Amino acid sequence: MSEGSMAVVKPEMKSYIWLQTVDGSIQQVEEEVAMFCPMICREVIQTGMGSSKNYAISLPQRVNPAILGLILDYCRFHQVAGRSNKERKTFDEKFIRMDTKRLCELTSAADSLQLKPLVDLTSRALARIIEGKTPEEIRETFHLPDDLTEEEKLEPLRNITDDPRIRLLNRLYARKRKELKERKKLKNVEVEEERVDDRSVDDLLSFINGGDEDTKGTRTSKNKKKNRRRKDQSKDSSLTNVNGNHNRELLDLPSACHEDEVNNVVLASPSTSSKLQDSAVVTFSPKLEFEDGDIDDDLDPAMKEELDREVEDFARRLNSDWPERMQEILSLGQERKFMPISINGNGSMGRYTSLDQR
Amino acid sequence: MQMDLDKISNLPGHIIDQILSNLSITEAVRTSVLSSKWRYKWATLPHLAFDNQCFPVSSQDHAILKNKLVNIVDHVLLLHNGPIYKFKLSHRDLLGITDIDRWILHLSRSPIKEFVLEIWKGQRYKMPSSLFSCHNLIHLELFNCLLKPPLTFKGFRSLKSLDLQHVTLAQDVFGSLISSCPLLERLTLMNFDGFTHLNIDAPNLQFFDIGGAFEDISFENTFCLTVISIGLYVNVGNEKRRAYANSSNLVNFFAHLPYIRRLEVQSYFLKYLAIGIVPRKLPTPCVHLNYLSIRINFNDVEEVIAALCLLRSSPNLQELEVLARPEEHATMATFTNCWEDNHCSLPFNQLRQVKIVGILGIKPELNFINFLLLASPVLETMSVKPASINGGWELLKELLRFRRASMQAEIIYLDP
Repeated sequence: MSEGSMAVVKPEMKSYIWLQTVDGSIQQVEEEVAMFCPMICREVIQTGMGSSKNYAISLPQRVNPAILGLILDYCRFHQVAGRSNKERKTFDEKFIRMDTKRLCELTSAADSLQLKPLVDLTSRALARIIEGKTPEEIRETFHLPDDLTEEEKLEPLRNITDDPRIRLLNRLYARKRKELKERKKLKNVEVEEERVDDRSVDDLLSFINGGDEDTKGTRTSKNKKKNRRRKDQSKDSSLTNVNGNHNRELLDLPSACHEDEVNNVVLASPSTSSKLQDSAVVTFSPKLEFEDGDIDDDLDPAMKEELDREVEDFARRLNSDWPERMQEILSLGQERKFMPISINGNGSMGRYTSLDQR
Repeated sequence: MQMDLDKISNLPGHIIDQILSNLSITEAVRTSVLSSKWRYKWATLPHLAFDNQCFPVSSQDHAILKNKLVNIVDHVLLLHNGPIYKFKLSHRDLLGITDIDRWILHLSRSPIKEFVLEIWKGQRYKMPSSLFSCHNLIHLELFNCLLKPPLTFKGFRSLKSLDLQHVTLAQDVFGSLISSCPLLERLTLMNFDGFTHLNIDAPNLQFFDIGGAFEDISFENTFCLTVISIGLYVNVGNEKRRAYANSSNLVNFFAHLPYIRRLEVQSYFLKYLAIGIVPRKLPTPCVHLNYLSIRINFNDVEEVIAALCLLRSSPNLQELEVLARPEEHATMATFTNCWEDNHCSLPFNQLRQVKIVGILGIKPELNFINFLLLASPVLETMSVKPASINGGWELLKELLRFRRASMQAEIIYLDP
């Protein structure tokens, strides 16, 4: 009898917090569970919200009802004091077994509720999923669009700096491209075959001038077409060659500008650089655009010659091994499997082992 | 549809940073080829660690390897965009090259909080002056470096943890470095040169781990210091002993350590403590000391007397480790049992765990064990591990005979 009445009374003694998700649905949650989320806790203390259905706490947009359920499961387990570390770890391991899409949503929701331990847990889980996978595998796992061309993938990562020498070179490249454009126009008149494909020249130019990017799918195939053509050209046109080189250089330049020492470090690999030469103009980053006003068409011929020499000198010194290295880095995913696990990753262990060696 | 499934790319930047910081720098940079959205996500990573795991260590020509390492760090630093809070450089093939100067200068423009540099090979690397302008440093860890701060250096005002190993510092540099880091809580010094007098003036220091060759050590304003591990790697010469004959190293050492909780006396440091006058007890007992580890030469009467003083002054000891240093066999023909008649006046009412390692089974060692067993009424375990198997039986026979003040005491004999 008394037990029965206890069972009725008990739930009423419990305090609840009312929560509302972005879709408008409202639910009541045990106070101690809800208060485990710092964001909710702060809301209750500072605004007094959550005490009834009419004063439900509006949860951030990133917390959808399904994810809220997961978050509350997590809180319900961890808010109980006196659980052993092992118990908590086992729970956590099971808890994060879900598809990557959900895991991302959970991370985002936990972040918006300022639930740091859960953010740590899911971030680590996501990192473990990424770790050791090839880019293709990562893309597949996370449904990432493969929207970079092969050239872009190999292209040295762009750096935004404000080095005056870069600006100088930018102007030079612009001028050279203009020359190239003139030449092409001439060629298009002369060569029958190329006139057919003049659309790609326009594309090329709009690309150079920082015009709209093409839709991703068609771009790759067009690039290939252009590459084929440009290869033919580069045989007779040294200008194209130089130009191609310079564009690559430009991207590498920031590192080279610091000291002469670096210049020596940035080494050439003939195979990769020649491969890139063909595509360099195409992959020239639209972001590194420049004003048309910057183009010096009326340079003093002597100075022009000097600048040209300088540019060529740069080209010679600055062939970078970055693409080669990027490829190496990219292939690391596979290589790693065969490498012994180094114990020296950890600072202190490294230190002590090295101590022994000394 | 594709975009709908791609959730990870739209996570907030700080979450992406957190995910990427769980990966090696190589893996993090690799994400730049995933998609256009991922092109520069790694570039805001606030923690950069370049270590053996980052670069494949192939059996290449050293010059090529060095170039590659330099090239990678250069590129990553140049392409990085945003504050760098943590930087670690530790590669077993990296020498103290001048390229590091440039990186440190670059980092000094960031609000860098943690800096770790370990030069595994070659000569000491001289830290560039730019390091000393990193005012936000909280943790500094250097291996095989030479420190010579500029005259304008005013100290690392935020530094809480300093770890220097295989370093060279001038005497005055060392003194001013320690005293100009007012928030310093942890200090590790191992295998240093250039200075021999250690004056530790650090009001917030809690943890101090030192091992090296030094002449003397003194503390000042170290009232927060609770954990000390100290090893003197060279034996103390006779002339030193005479020079300090009128003072007491033992008393001086503990004068500024009222709250010491854990103490490890390693290598020859007990010898140093034994120099000068050794009182029967310290003027102020170490009431907070609950863990003590000492390395001792049982044949050296001075060391034994110093250890005895230390034990008498540690009434609340719970755990004791004694490591015999049997390499010197200065056999004392007229050796008196220092440990006798002490147990009655001196019970260790808290001592529960005792570990004895490296003994030979000689008389002074047995006397010490006997003394401990009689003076420790709540002892739970005493493990004894001799230096060699020879004489193991004799030792066991002796151990069996000893009376124990504690009913619970268990003696565990461990094979060497």
